[in-house]
Amino acid sequence: MLADLVQNTLDGVAAGASYALIAVGFTLIFGVLRRANLSYGPAIMLGCYLATLAFQRQPALGALALAAIAIGGSVLAGAYVERLCFAPHRQGSAIAAMVASFAVWMQLEELATLALPRHVHAFPALYDGAPLQLAGFALRVESLAMLLAAGLACALLWWMLERTRFGLAVRAVIASPVAAELSGISVPRTFVRVFALASAIGGVAGFLVAASHEQVTPMMGMWFTLKGMLAMMLGGLGSLSGAVWGALALGLVEAHAQWFFGPQLRDLLIYALLFALLAAGPRWMITRSAS
Amino acid sequence: MDDYTIGVLTNAGLFAFIALSAYLLLLAGELSFGQQAFFGVGAYSGGMLTAMWGWPLPLAAAVAMLLGAIAALAVAVPTLRLRGLYFAMATLAAAELARIAFELLQWQVPVDGEATGPDGTQGFRGIRWVLESGIEPQTFLALIWAVLTAVLALFLALERSKLGATLRGIGEDPELAAALGIDVDRWKLGVAAAAGALAAMGGVLYAHHNTYIEPRNFDIMLGVHSLAYALIGGLGTAFGPLVGVLVDIGLLEGSRVFEGYRMIAFGGLVALLLVVRPRGLLDERVVQWLRNRFSSR
Repeated sequence: MLADLVQNTLDGVAAGASYALIAVGFTLIFGVLRRANLSYGPAIMLGCYLATLAFQRQPALGALALAAIAIGGSVLAGAYVERLCFAPHRQGSAIAAMVASFAVWMQLEELATLALPRHVHAFPALYDGAPLQLAGFALRVESLAMLLAAGLACALLWWMLERTRFGLAVRAVIASPVAAELSGISVPRTFVRVFALASAIGGVAGFLVAASHEQVTPMMGMWFTLKGMLAMMLGGLGSLSGAVWGALALGLVEAHAQWFFGPQLRDLLIYALLFALLAAGPRWMITRSAS
Repeated sequence: MDDYTIGVLTNAGLFAFIALSAYLLLLAGELSFGQQAFFGVGAYSGGMLTAMWGWPLPLAAAVAMLLGAIAALAVAVPTLRLRGLYFAMATLAAAELARIAFELLQWQVPVDGEATGPDGTQGFRGIRWVLESGIEPQTFLALIWAVLTAVLALFLALERSKLGATLRGIGEDPELAAALGIDVDRWKLGVAAAAGALAAMGGVLYAHHNTYIEPRNFDIMLGVHSLAYALIGGLGTAFGPLVGVLVDIGLLEGSRVFEGYRMIAFGGLVALLLVVRPRGLLDERVVQWLRNRFSSR
Protein backbone atom coordinates (compact mmCIF):
# COMPACT_ATOMS: atom_id res chain seq x y z
CA MET A 1 0.00 0.00 0.00
CA LEU A 2 2.63 2.52 1.07
CA ALA A 3 4.90 1.29 -1.71
CA ASP A 4 2.08 1.90 -4.21
CA LEU A 5 1.56 5.40 -2.89
CA VAL A 6 5.25 6.19 -3.33
CA GLN A 7 5.26 4.70 -6.83
CA ASN A 8 2.13 6.71 -7.75
CA THR A 9 3.73 9.86 -6.42
CA LEU A 10 6.81 9.18 -8.51
CA ASP A 11 4.67 8.61 -11.62
CA GLY A 12 2.61 11.68 -10.80
CA VAL A 13 5.65 13.92 -10.55
CA ALA A 14 6.94 12.56 -13.88
CA ALA A 15 3.58 13.23 -15.55
CA GLY A 16 3.47 16.61 -13.81
CA ALA A 17 6.85 17.47 -15.34
CA SER A 18 5.46 16.90 -18.84
CA TYR A 19 2.37 18.94 -18.00
CA ALA A 20 4.63 21.68 -16.65
CA LEU A 21 6.45 22.01 -19.97
CA ILE A 22 3.13 22.11 -21.83
CA ALA A 23 1.55 24.55 -19.38
CA VAL A 24 4.53 26.92 -19.36
CA GLY A 25 4.31 27.27 -23.14
CA PHE A 26 0.55 27.78 -23.02
CA THR A 27 0.85 30.30 -20.20
CA LEU A 28 3.60 32.30 -21.94
CA ILE A 29 1.28 32.90 -24.88
CA PHE A 30 -1.70 33.61 -22.64
CA GLY A 31 0.26 35.90 -20.32
CA VAL A 32 1.62 38.05 -23.13
CA LEU A 33 -1.24 38.04 -25.63
CA ARG A 34 -4.15 37.72 -23.14
CA ARG A 35 -5.62 35.26 -25.62
CA ALA A 36 -6.16 31.51 -25.33
CA ASN A 37 -4.47 29.65 -28.18
CA LEU A 38 -6.56 26.53 -28.77
CA SER A 39 -4.19 25.54 -31.59
CA TYR A 40 -1.26 25.31 -29.19
CA GLY A 41 -1.62 21.54 -28.80
CA PRO A 42 -2.40 20.75 -32.44
CA ALA A 43 0.73 22.69 -33.54
CA ILE A 44 2.82 20.49 -31.23
CA MET A 45 1.00 17.42 -32.54
CA LEU A 46 1.90 18.38 -36.10
CA GLY A 47 5.56 18.71 -35.08
CA CYS A 48 5.40 15.18 -33.63
CA TYR A 49 3.78 13.94 -36.84
CA LEU A 50 6.60 15.41 -38.93
CA ALA A 51 9.12 13.64 -36.70
CA THR A 52 7.17 10.38 -37.07
CA LEU A 53 7.10 10.82 -40.85
CA ALA A 54 10.89 11.36 -40.85
CA PHE A 55 11.35 8.30 -38.64
CA GLN A 56 9.27 6.14 -41.00
CA ARG A 57 11.33 7.28 -44.01
CA GLN A 58 14.68 7.12 -42.19
CA PRO A 59 14.50 4.64 -39.28
CA ALA A 60 18.19 5.28 -38.62
CA LEU A 61 17.54 8.84 -37.40
CA GLY A 62 18.60 9.36 -33.79
CA ALA A 63 16.59 10.84 -30.96
CA LEU A 64 18.27 14.25 -31.26
CA ALA A 65 17.42 14.55 -34.96
CA LEU A 66 13.80 13.56 -34.28
CA ALA A 67 13.60 16.03 -31.41
CA ALA A 68 14.93 18.78 -33.69
CA ILE A 69 12.30 17.96 -36.34
CA ALA A 70 9.50 17.90 -33.73
CA ILE A 71 10.59 21.25 -32.29
CA GLY A 72 11.10 22.81 -35.72
CA GLY A 73 7.72 21.58 -36.93
CA SER A 74 6.01 22.86 -33.81
CA VAL A 75 7.61 26.30 -34.21
CA LEU A 76 6.65 26.46 -37.91
CA ALA A 77 3.05 25.48 -37.18
CA GLY A 78 3.03 27.96 -34.29
CA ALA A 79 4.23 30.72 -36.61
CA TYR A 80 1.37 29.92 -39.00
CA VAL A 81 -1.12 30.08 -36.11
CA GLU A 82 0.30 33.40 -34.92
CA ARG A 83 0.14 35.01 -38.39
CA LEU A 84 -3.37 33.81 -39.17
CA CYS A 85 -5.13 33.92 -35.79
CA PHE A 86 -3.36 36.32 -33.46
CA ALA A 87 -1.51 39.02 -35.41
CA PRO A 88 -4.72 40.26 -37.11
CA HIS A 89 -6.64 40.36 -33.80
CA ARG A 90 -3.91 41.99 -31.72
CA GLN A 91 -6.08 45.00 -30.92
CA GLY A 92 -9.42 43.37 -31.56
CA SER A 93 -11.64 40.66 -30.23
CA ALA A 94 -10.24 37.91 -28.01
CA ILE A 95 -13.16 35.67 -28.92
CA ALA A 96 -12.49 36.05 -32.65
CA ALA A 97 -8.82 35.11 -32.08
CA MET A 98 -9.80 32.07 -30.05
CA VAL A 99 -12.37 30.84 -32.57
CA ALA A 100 -9.83 31.41 -35.37
CA SER A 101 -7.31 29.30 -33.46
CA PHE A 102 -9.95 26.59 -33.20
CA ALA A 103 -10.52 26.76 -36.95
CA VAL A 104 -6.80 26.30 -37.55
CA TRP A 105 -6.84 23.36 -35.11
CA MET A 106 -9.25 21.66 -37.56
CA GLN A 107 -6.78 22.35 -40.36
CA LEU A 108 -3.74 21.02 -38.52
CA GLU A 109 -5.59 17.89 -37.45
CA GLU A 110 -6.70 17.08 -40.99
CA LEU A 111 -3.21 17.85 -42.28
CA ALA A 112 -1.78 15.31 -39.83
CA THR A 113 -4.24 12.60 -40.87
CA LEU A 114 -3.51 13.32 -44.55
CA ALA A 115 0.23 12.98 -43.91
CA LEU A 116 -0.10 9.71 -41.99
CA PRO A 117 -3.50 8.14 -42.64
CA ARG A 118 -3.98 5.42 -40.03
CA HIS A 119 -5.01 6.49 -36.56
CA VAL A 120 -2.05 5.43 -34.41
CA HIS A 121 1.62 5.44 -35.41
CA ALA A 122 4.58 4.05 -33.51
CA PHE A 123 7.15 6.51 -32.21
CA PRO A 124 10.61 5.32 -31.06
CA ALA A 125 11.22 5.23 -27.33
CA LEU A 126 14.30 6.99 -25.97
CA TYR A 127 15.63 3.87 -24.37
CA ASP A 128 14.75 0.22 -24.99
CA GLY A 129 15.86 -1.37 -21.73
CA ALA A 130 13.99 -1.88 -18.47
CA PRO A 131 13.11 1.10 -16.25
CA LEU A 132 15.69 2.26 -13.74
CA GLN A 133 15.34 0.83 -10.24
CA LEU A 134 15.59 3.27 -7.35
CA ALA A 135 15.35 1.56 -3.97
CA GLY A 136 12.74 -0.80 -5.34
CA PHE A 137 10.77 1.81 -7.27
CA ALA A 138 10.66 1.94 -11.04
CA LEU A 139 11.50 5.12 -12.91
CA ARG A 140 11.37 5.14 -16.68
CA VAL A 141 14.22 6.74 -18.57
CA GLU A 142 11.68 8.88 -20.43
CA SER A 143 10.29 10.15 -17.12
CA LEU A 144 13.79 11.06 -15.98
CA ALA A 145 14.39 12.89 -19.27
CA MET A 146 11.08 14.69 -18.79
CA LEU A 147 12.02 15.81 -15.28
CA LEU A 148 15.43 17.01 -16.47
CA ALA A 149 13.96 18.78 -19.50
CA ALA A 150 11.26 20.47 -17.42
CA GLY A 151 13.78 21.61 -14.80
CA LEU A 152 16.20 22.86 -17.44
CA ALA A 153 13.47 24.63 -19.40
CA CYS A 154 12.17 26.38 -16.28
CA ALA A 155 15.67 27.50 -15.28
CA LEU A 156 16.43 28.72 -18.80
CA LEU A 157 13.11 30.53 -19.02
CA TRP A 158 13.67 32.19 -15.65
CA TRP A 159 17.08 33.37 -16.81
CA MET A 160 15.66 34.67 -20.09
CA LEU A 161 12.79 36.53 -18.44
CA GLU A 162 14.78 37.99 -15.55
CA ARG A 163 18.22 38.56 -17.03
CA THR A 164 17.92 39.45 -20.73
CA ARG A 165 16.60 42.43 -22.65
CA PHE A 166 14.10 40.15 -24.37
CA GLY A 167 12.80 39.10 -20.96
CA LEU A 168 12.51 42.70 -19.87
CA ALA A 169 10.46 43.43 -22.98
CA VAL A 170 8.22 40.43 -22.30
CA ARG A 171 7.63 41.47 -18.71
CA ALA A 172 6.93 45.05 -19.79
CA VAL A 173 4.36 43.87 -22.35
CA ILE A 174 2.70 41.63 -19.74
CA ALA A 175 2.49 44.53 -17.29
CA SER A 176 1.12 47.03 -19.82
CA PRO A 177 1.23 46.77 -23.61
CA VAL A 178 0.58 50.49 -23.99
CA ALA A 179 3.40 51.55 -21.67
CA ALA A 180 5.72 49.04 -23.33
CA GLU A 181 4.91 50.44 -26.77
CA LEU A 182 5.51 53.99 -25.53
CA SER A 183 8.93 53.09 -24.15
CA GLY A 184 10.04 51.85 -27.55
CA ILE A 185 9.36 48.11 -27.28
CA SER A 186 7.90 46.60 -30.42
CA VAL A 187 4.85 44.74 -29.13
CA PRO A 188 4.20 42.76 -32.35
CA ARG A 189 7.81 41.57 -32.45
CA THR A 190 7.61 40.52 -28.80
CA PHE A 191 4.45 38.57 -29.61
CA VAL A 192 6.16 36.71 -32.44
CA ARG A 193 9.20 35.85 -30.32
CA VAL A 194 7.09 34.69 -27.39
CA PHE A 195 5.06 32.54 -29.75
CA ALA A 196 8.23 30.97 -31.17
CA LEU A 197 9.64 30.37 -27.68
CA ALA A 198 6.39 28.83 -26.41
CA SER A 199 6.12 26.61 -29.49
CA ALA A 200 9.71 25.43 -29.03
CA ILE A 201 9.03 24.51 -25.39
CA GLY A 202 5.87 22.78 -26.55
CA GLY A 203 7.89 20.92 -29.18
CA VAL A 204 10.27 19.60 -26.52
CA ALA A 205 7.29 18.44 -24.47
CA GLY A 206 5.68 16.91 -27.55
CA PHE A 207 8.79 14.93 -28.47
CA LEU A 208 9.21 13.60 -24.91
CA VAL A 209 5.52 12.71 -24.55
CA ALA A 210 5.52 10.93 -27.92
CA ALA A 211 8.69 9.03 -26.94
CA SER A 212 7.28 8.02 -23.58
CA HIS A 213 3.87 6.97 -24.99
CA GLU A 214 5.77 5.39 -27.94
CA GLN A 215 3.03 6.50 -30.33
CA VAL A 216 1.42 9.52 -31.94
CA THR A 217 -2.27 10.05 -32.72
CA PRO A 218 -4.23 13.06 -34.01
CA MET A 219 -5.91 13.17 -30.57
CA MET A 220 -2.64 14.42 -29.08
CA GLY A 221 -3.53 17.94 -30.20
CA MET A 222 -6.59 18.14 -27.98
CA TRP A 223 -4.70 16.39 -25.18
CA PHE A 224 -1.90 19.00 -25.15
CA THR A 225 -4.30 21.94 -25.27
CA LEU A 226 -6.54 20.56 -22.52
CA LYS A 227 -3.67 19.64 -20.18
CA GLY A 228 -2.03 23.02 -20.77
CA MET A 229 -5.24 24.92 -20.04
CA LEU A 230 -6.10 22.77 -17.02
CA ALA A 231 -2.68 23.20 -15.43
CA MET A 232 -2.67 26.92 -16.16
CA MET A 233 -6.14 27.30 -14.64
CA LEU A 234 -5.31 25.24 -11.55
CA GLY A 235 -2.19 27.34 -10.96
CA GLY A 236 -3.89 30.69 -11.28
CA LEU A 237 -4.31 32.24 -14.68
CA GLY A 238 -1.29 33.64 -16.47
CA SER A 239 1.45 33.11 -13.88
CA LEU A 240 4.39 30.96 -14.96
CA SER A 241 5.30 29.64 -11.51
CA GLY A 242 1.62 29.00 -10.89
CA ALA A 243 1.47 26.96 -14.10
CA VAL A 244 4.34 24.76 -12.89
CA TRP A 245 2.65 24.15 -9.53
CA GLY A 246 -0.69 23.58 -11.23
CA ALA A 247 0.94 21.05 -13.56
CA LEU A 248 2.56 19.14 -10.69
CA ALA A 249 -0.73 19.14 -8.76
CA LEU A 250 -2.55 17.88 -11.86
CA GLY A 251 -0.01 15.09 -12.38
CA LEU A 252 -0.14 13.99 -8.73
CA VAL A 253 -3.93 14.08 -8.41
CA GLU A 254 -4.27 12.17 -11.68
CA ALA A 255 -1.78 9.47 -10.73
CA HIS A 256 -3.33 8.82 -7.34
CA ALA A 257 -6.94 9.06 -8.57
CA GLN A 258 -6.17 6.65 -11.39
CA TRP A 259 -4.79 4.10 -8.95
CA PHE A 260 -7.66 4.46 -6.51
CA PHE A 261 -10.63 4.91 -8.84
CA GLY A 262 -9.63 4.06 -12.44
CA PRO A 263 -9.35 6.35 -15.48
CA GLN A 264 -13.03 7.36 -15.84
CA LEU A 265 -13.43 8.56 -12.27
CA ARG A 266 -9.96 10.14 -12.46
CA ASP A 267 -11.19 12.48 -15.21
CA LEU A 268 -14.45 13.04 -13.35
CA LEU A 269 -12.52 14.06 -10.25
CA ILE A 270 -10.23 16.45 -12.17
CA TYR A 271 -13.10 18.27 -13.86
CA ALA A 272 -15.16 18.38 -10.64
CA LEU A 273 -12.13 19.84 -8.87
CA LEU A 274 -11.61 22.45 -11.58
CA PHE A 275 -15.29 23.42 -11.58
CA ALA A 276 -15.45 23.65 -7.80
CA LEU A 277 -12.25 25.72 -7.64
CA LEU A 278 -13.44 28.11 -10.34
CA ALA A 279 -16.85 28.49 -8.68
CA ALA A 280 -15.29 29.08 -5.26
CA GLY A 281 -12.77 31.47 -6.82
CA PRO A 282 -9.89 31.46 -4.35
CA ARG A 283 -7.71 34.57 -4.54
CA TRP A 284 -4.64 32.80 -5.91
CA MET A 285 -6.72 31.49 -8.76
CA ILE A 286 -8.72 34.50 -9.84
CA THR A 287 -5.86 36.94 -10.08
CA ARG A 288 -6.22 38.78 -13.33
CA SER A 289 -9.06 39.83 -15.57
CA ALA A 290 -9.19 37.51 -18.54
CA SER A 291 -11.78 38.51 -21.05
CA MET B 1 -35.22 15.27 -52.68
CA ASP B 2 -32.69 12.43 -52.59
CA ASP B 3 -31.62 10.82 -49.31
CA TYR B 4 -28.28 12.61 -49.27
CA THR B 5 -29.82 16.07 -49.49
CA ILE B 6 -32.35 15.16 -46.81
CA GLY B 7 -29.52 13.98 -44.55
CA VAL B 8 -27.46 17.15 -45.02
CA LEU B 9 -30.43 19.47 -44.46
CA THR B 10 -31.52 17.48 -41.39
CA ASN B 11 -28.03 17.73 -39.87
CA ALA B 12 -27.84 21.44 -40.62
CA GLY B 13 -31.19 21.96 -38.88
CA LEU B 14 -30.17 19.92 -35.83
CA PHE B 15 -26.87 21.73 -35.29
CA ALA B 16 -28.57 25.09 -35.80
CA PHE B 17 -30.24 24.59 -32.41
CA ILE B 18 -26.98 24.34 -30.50
CA ALA B 19 -25.47 27.15 -32.59
CA LEU B 20 -28.41 29.38 -31.60
CA SER B 21 -27.90 28.32 -28.01
CA ALA B 22 -24.27 29.48 -28.11
CA TYR B 23 -25.37 32.65 -29.92
CA LEU B 24 -27.89 33.55 -27.22
CA LEU B 25 -25.14 33.38 -24.58
CA LEU B 26 -22.76 35.40 -26.77
CA LEU B 27 -25.40 38.14 -26.96
CA ALA B 28 -25.41 38.25 -23.15
CA GLY B 29 -21.59 38.54 -23.31
CA GLU B 30 -20.79 35.00 -22.24
CA LEU B 31 -18.54 32.52 -24.00
CA SER B 32 -19.61 28.97 -23.21
CA PHE B 33 -17.54 25.91 -24.11
CA GLY B 34 -20.23 23.70 -22.66
CA GLN B 35 -23.53 23.91 -24.56
CA GLN B 36 -22.94 20.34 -25.81
CA ALA B 37 -23.78 19.14 -22.27
CA PHE B 38 -27.39 20.33 -22.58
CA PHE B 39 -27.63 19.00 -26.13
CA GLY B 40 -26.59 15.68 -24.57
CA VAL B 41 -29.04 15.98 -21.67
CA GLY B 42 -31.82 16.52 -24.20
CA ALA B 43 -30.68 13.62 -26.37
CA TYR B 44 -30.37 11.17 -23.49
CA SER B 45 -33.49 12.15 -21.53
CA GLY B 46 -35.71 12.48 -24.61
CA GLY B 47 -34.43 9.21 -26.03
CA MET B 48 -34.96 7.39 -22.73
CA LEU B 49 -38.51 8.66 -22.37
CA THR B 50 -39.63 7.53 -25.83
CA ALA B 51 -37.56 4.34 -26.17
CA MET B 52 -37.75 2.98 -22.62
CA TRP B 53 -41.18 4.08 -21.49
CA GLY B 54 -43.00 4.66 -24.75
CA TRP B 55 -43.77 8.37 -24.28
CA PRO B 56 -44.84 10.31 -27.35
CA LEU B 57 -42.07 12.51 -28.76
CA PRO B 58 -43.71 15.93 -28.16
CA LEU B 59 -44.19 15.21 -24.46
CA ALA B 60 -40.68 13.75 -24.15
CA ALA B 61 -39.28 16.85 -25.90
CA ALA B 62 -41.04 19.15 -23.45
CA VAL B 63 -39.65 17.28 -20.44
CA ALA B 64 -36.19 17.12 -22.03
CA MET B 65 -36.20 20.90 -22.54
CA LEU B 66 -37.17 21.37 -18.92
CA LEU B 67 -34.31 19.11 -17.84
CA GLY B 68 -31.94 20.99 -20.17
CA ALA B 69 -32.97 24.27 -18.55
CA ILE B 70 -32.51 22.84 -15.04
CA ALA B 71 -29.07 21.44 -15.94
CA ALA B 72 -28.09 24.81 -17.42
CA LEU B 73 -29.19 26.58 -14.23
CA ALA B 74 -27.18 24.11 -12.15
CA VAL B 75 -24.10 25.26 -14.10
CA ALA B 76 -25.06 28.93 -14.30
CA VAL B 77 -25.72 29.57 -10.61
CA PRO B 78 -22.23 28.70 -9.30
CA THR B 79 -20.54 30.40 -12.29
CA LEU B 80 -22.53 33.63 -12.17
CA ARG B 81 -19.54 35.70 -11.03
CA LEU B 82 -17.08 34.30 -13.58
CA ARG B 83 -16.02 36.21 -16.69
CA GLY B 84 -14.19 35.46 -19.90
CA LEU B 85 -11.86 32.49 -19.93
CA TYR B 86 -12.78 31.55 -16.33
CA PHE B 87 -16.41 31.17 -17.38
CA ALA B 88 -15.43 29.30 -20.55
CA MET B 89 -13.28 26.85 -18.58
CA ALA B 90 -15.95 26.30 -15.93
CA THR B 91 -18.54 25.49 -18.59
CA LEU B 92 -16.05 23.18 -20.29
CA ALA B 93 -15.42 21.36 -16.99
CA ALA B 94 -19.18 21.02 -16.42
CA ALA B 95 -19.69 19.65 -19.93
CA GLU B 96 -16.90 17.10 -19.53
CA LEU B 97 -18.50 16.06 -16.22
CA ALA B 98 -21.77 15.53 -18.09
CA ARG B 99 -20.01 13.49 -20.79
CA ILE B 100 -18.37 11.23 -18.20
CA ALA B 101 -21.74 10.90 -16.45
CA PHE B 102 -23.20 9.65 -19.76
CA GLU B 103 -20.31 7.15 -19.90
CA LEU B 104 -21.23 5.91 -16.43
CA LEU B 105 -24.97 5.85 -17.11
CA GLN B 106 -26.22 2.26 -17.40
CA TRP B 107 -29.94 1.85 -17.19
CA GLN B 108 -31.72 -0.64 -19.39
CA VAL B 109 -35.27 -1.95 -19.31
CA PRO B 110 -36.73 -4.75 -21.47
CA VAL B 111 -38.76 -3.38 -24.37
CA ASP B 112 -40.29 -6.06 -26.65
CA GLY B 113 -37.88 -8.59 -25.15
CA GLU B 114 -34.85 -6.40 -25.91
CA ALA B 115 -32.76 -4.58 -23.31
CA THR B 116 -33.18 -0.89 -24.19
CA GLY B 117 -31.49 2.13 -22.65
CA PRO B 118 -28.11 3.82 -22.17
CA ASP B 119 -25.29 1.29 -21.93
CA GLY B 120 -22.34 3.39 -20.78
CA THR B 121 -19.58 3.82 -23.34
CA GLN B 122 -21.38 1.33 -25.60
CA GLY B 123 -23.90 4.07 -26.28
CA PHE B 124 -27.67 4.05 -26.44
CA ARG B 125 -29.31 2.38 -29.43
CA GLY B 126 -32.88 1.76 -30.48
CA ILE B 127 -34.35 5.28 -30.22
CA ARG B 128 -36.90 4.37 -32.88
CA TRP B 129 -39.95 6.49 -32.10
CA VAL B 130 -39.80 8.28 -35.46
CA LEU B 131 -39.52 5.03 -37.43
CA GLU B 132 -42.18 3.24 -35.42
CA SER B 133 -44.61 6.11 -35.78
CA GLY B 134 -44.27 5.75 -39.54
CA ILE B 135 -42.79 9.23 -40.01
CA GLU B 136 -40.84 9.56 -43.29
CA PRO B 137 -37.37 11.19 -43.18
CA GLN B 138 -38.74 13.98 -45.33
CA THR B 139 -41.55 14.64 -42.87
CA PHE B 140 -39.13 14.63 -39.94
CA LEU B 141 -36.93 17.10 -41.84
CA ALA B 142 -39.96 19.35 -42.29
CA LEU B 143 -40.75 19.03 -38.59
CA ILE B 144 -37.19 20.01 -37.58
CA TRP B 145 -37.23 23.06 -39.80
CA ALA B 146 -40.71 24.02 -38.64
CA VAL B 147 -39.54 24.03 -35.01
CA LEU B 148 -36.40 25.90 -36.05
CA THR B 149 -38.47 28.51 -37.90
CA ALA B 150 -40.61 29.02 -34.81
CA VAL B 151 -37.46 29.48 -32.70
CA LEU B 152 -36.04 31.93 -35.24
CA ALA B 153 -39.30 33.90 -35.24
CA LEU B 154 -39.09 34.11 -31.45
CA PHE B 155 -35.49 35.35 -31.70
CA LEU B 156 -36.39 37.99 -34.30
CA ALA B 157 -39.30 39.20 -32.18
CA LEU B 158 -37.00 39.31 -29.15
CA GLU B 159 -34.35 41.30 -30.99
CA ARG B 160 -36.80 43.91 -32.16
CA SER B 161 -38.23 44.35 -28.68
CA LYS B 162 -36.93 46.23 -25.68
CA LEU B 163 -35.87 42.88 -24.17
CA GLY B 164 -33.39 42.38 -27.00
CA ALA B 165 -31.85 45.80 -26.41
CA THR B 166 -31.55 45.02 -22.69
CA LEU B 167 -29.85 41.73 -23.49
CA ARG B 168 -27.28 43.34 -25.79
CA GLY B 169 -26.74 46.05 -23.20
CA ILE B 170 -25.89 43.43 -20.59
CA GLY B 171 -23.54 41.76 -23.04
CA GLU B 172 -21.70 44.96 -23.86
CA ASP B 173 -21.41 46.46 -20.39
CA PRO B 174 -22.88 44.58 -17.41
CA GLU B 175 -21.82 47.29 -14.93
CA LEU B 176 -23.58 49.99 -16.91
CA ALA B 177 -26.68 47.78 -17.25
CA ALA B 178 -26.71 47.21 -13.49
CA ALA B 179 -26.33 50.94 -12.90
CA LEU B 180 -29.39 51.51 -15.09
CA GLY B 181 -31.41 49.35 -12.71
CA ILE B 182 -31.35 46.08 -14.66
CA ASP B 183 -31.17 42.94 -12.53
CA VAL B 184 -28.19 41.49 -14.41
CA ASP B 185 -27.99 38.27 -12.38
CA ARG B 186 -31.60 37.36 -13.02
CA TRP B 187 -31.19 38.07 -16.71
CA LYS B 188 -28.09 35.94 -16.96
CA LEU B 189 -29.78 33.00 -15.26
CA GLY B 190 -32.82 33.37 -17.51
CA VAL B 191 -30.64 33.44 -20.62
CA ALA B 192 -28.68 30.39 -19.43
CA ALA B 193 -31.90 28.42 -18.82
CA ALA B 194 -33.34 29.38 -22.20
CA ALA B 195 -30.08 28.47 -23.97
CA GLY B 196 -30.02 25.14 -22.12
CA ALA B 197 -33.60 24.35 -23.15
CA LEU B 198 -32.84 25.30 -26.75
CA ALA B 199 -29.78 23.03 -26.89
CA ALA B 200 -31.82 20.22 -25.29
CA MET B 201 -34.49 20.61 -27.98
CA GLY B 202 -31.82 20.12 -30.63
CA GLY B 203 -30.54 17.10 -28.69
CA VAL B 204 -33.94 15.39 -28.56
CA LEU B 205 -34.37 15.75 -32.32
CA TYR B 206 -30.76 14.65 -32.91
CA ALA B 207 -31.27 11.44 -30.89
CA HIS B 208 -34.48 10.61 -32.73
CA HIS B 209 -32.96 11.29 -36.13
CA ASN B 210 -29.87 9.14 -35.50
CA THR B 211 -31.64 6.43 -33.38
CA TYR B 212 -28.20 5.85 -31.78
CA ILE B 213 -26.23 8.17 -29.49
CA GLU B 214 -23.02 7.74 -27.53
CA PRO B 215 -21.20 9.93 -24.99
CA ARG B 216 -18.52 10.86 -27.55
CA ASN B 217 -21.15 12.73 -29.60
CA PHE B 218 -21.25 15.36 -26.87
CA ASP B 219 -17.55 16.17 -26.46
CA ILE B 220 -15.86 19.56 -26.61
CA MET B 221 -15.64 19.42 -30.43
CA LEU B 222 -19.41 19.91 -30.66
CA GLY B 223 -19.29 22.82 -28.22
CA VAL B 224 -16.52 24.70 -30.00
CA HIS B 225 -18.12 24.03 -33.37
CA SER B 226 -21.36 25.61 -32.20
CA LEU B 227 -19.43 28.68 -31.02
CA ALA B 228 -17.67 28.87 -34.37
CA TYR B 229 -21.00 28.61 -36.22
CA ALA B 230 -22.45 31.47 -34.17
CA LEU B 231 -19.38 33.64 -34.69
CA ILE B 232 -18.79 33.14 -38.43
CA GLY B 233 -22.47 33.60 -39.23
CA GLY B 234 -22.46 36.83 -37.32
CA LEU B 235 -23.59 38.32 -34.05
CA GLY B 236 -25.96 40.85 -35.60
CA THR B 237 -29.00 38.64 -36.08
CA ALA B 238 -30.29 35.18 -35.23
CA PHE B 239 -29.92 34.29 -38.92
CA GLY B 240 -26.14 34.42 -38.30
CA PRO B 241 -25.77 31.04 -36.57
CA LEU B 242 -27.97 29.50 -39.27
CA VAL B 243 -25.68 30.91 -41.96
CA GLY B 244 -22.69 29.51 -40.05
CA VAL B 245 -24.18 26.02 -39.95
CA LEU B 246 -25.17 26.16 -43.61
CA VAL B 247 -21.67 27.27 -44.65
CA ASP B 248 -20.06 24.31 -42.90
CA ILE B 249 -22.56 21.50 -43.25
CA GLY B 250 -24.46 22.67 -46.30
CA LEU B 251 -21.71 24.13 -48.47
CA LEU B 252 -18.61 22.14 -47.55
CA GLU B 253 -20.06 18.78 -46.60
CA GLY B 254 -23.03 19.00 -48.93
CA SER B 255 -21.13 20.00 -52.07
CA ARG B 256 -18.59 17.17 -51.67
CA VAL B 257 -16.05 19.35 -53.55
CA PHE B 258 -13.60 19.35 -50.65
CA GLU B 259 -13.84 15.64 -49.91
CA GLY B 260 -10.89 14.77 -47.67
CA TYR B 261 -9.91 18.45 -47.36
CA ARG B 262 -13.11 19.71 -45.79
CA MET B 263 -11.57 20.72 -42.47
CA ILE B 264 -8.62 22.43 -44.15
CA ALA B 265 -11.06 24.39 -46.31
CA PHE B 266 -13.49 25.17 -43.46
CA GLY B 267 -10.71 26.11 -41.03
CA GLY B 268 -8.97 28.39 -43.50
CA LEU B 269 -12.24 29.99 -44.51
CA VAL B 270 -13.22 30.71 -40.90
CA ALA B 271 -9.81 32.08 -39.89
CA LEU B 272 -9.63 34.37 -42.93
CA LEU B 273 -13.24 35.47 -42.53
CA LEU B 274 -12.60 36.47 -38.92
CA VAL B 275 -9.66 38.64 -40.02
CA VAL B 276 -11.98 40.65 -42.25
CA ARG B 277 -15.13 40.38 -40.15
CA PRO B 278 -14.32 39.70 -36.49
CA ARG B 279 -18.02 39.66 -35.55
CA GLY B 280 -19.09 37.40 -38.39
CA LEU B 281 -20.70 37.79 -41.80
CA LEU B 282 -23.96 39.29 -40.55
CA ASP B 283 -22.58 41.60 -37.88
CA GLU B 284 -24.45 44.50 -36.29
CA ARG B 285 -23.41 46.99 -38.97
CA VAL B 286 -24.61 44.85 -41.86
CA VAL B 287 -27.89 44.14 -40.09
CA GLN B 288 -28.43 47.85 -39.40
CA TRP B 289 -27.69 48.67 -43.04
CA LEU B 290 -30.15 46.03 -44.23
CA ARG B 291 -32.76 47.28 -41.79
CA ASN B 292 -32.36 50.87 -43.01
CA ARG B 293 -32.73 49.78 -46.64
CA PHE B 294 -35.88 47.93 -45.72
CA SER B 295 -37.53 50.70 -43.74
CA SER B 296 -36.74 53.49 -46.25
CA ARG B 297 -38.95 51.87 -48.86
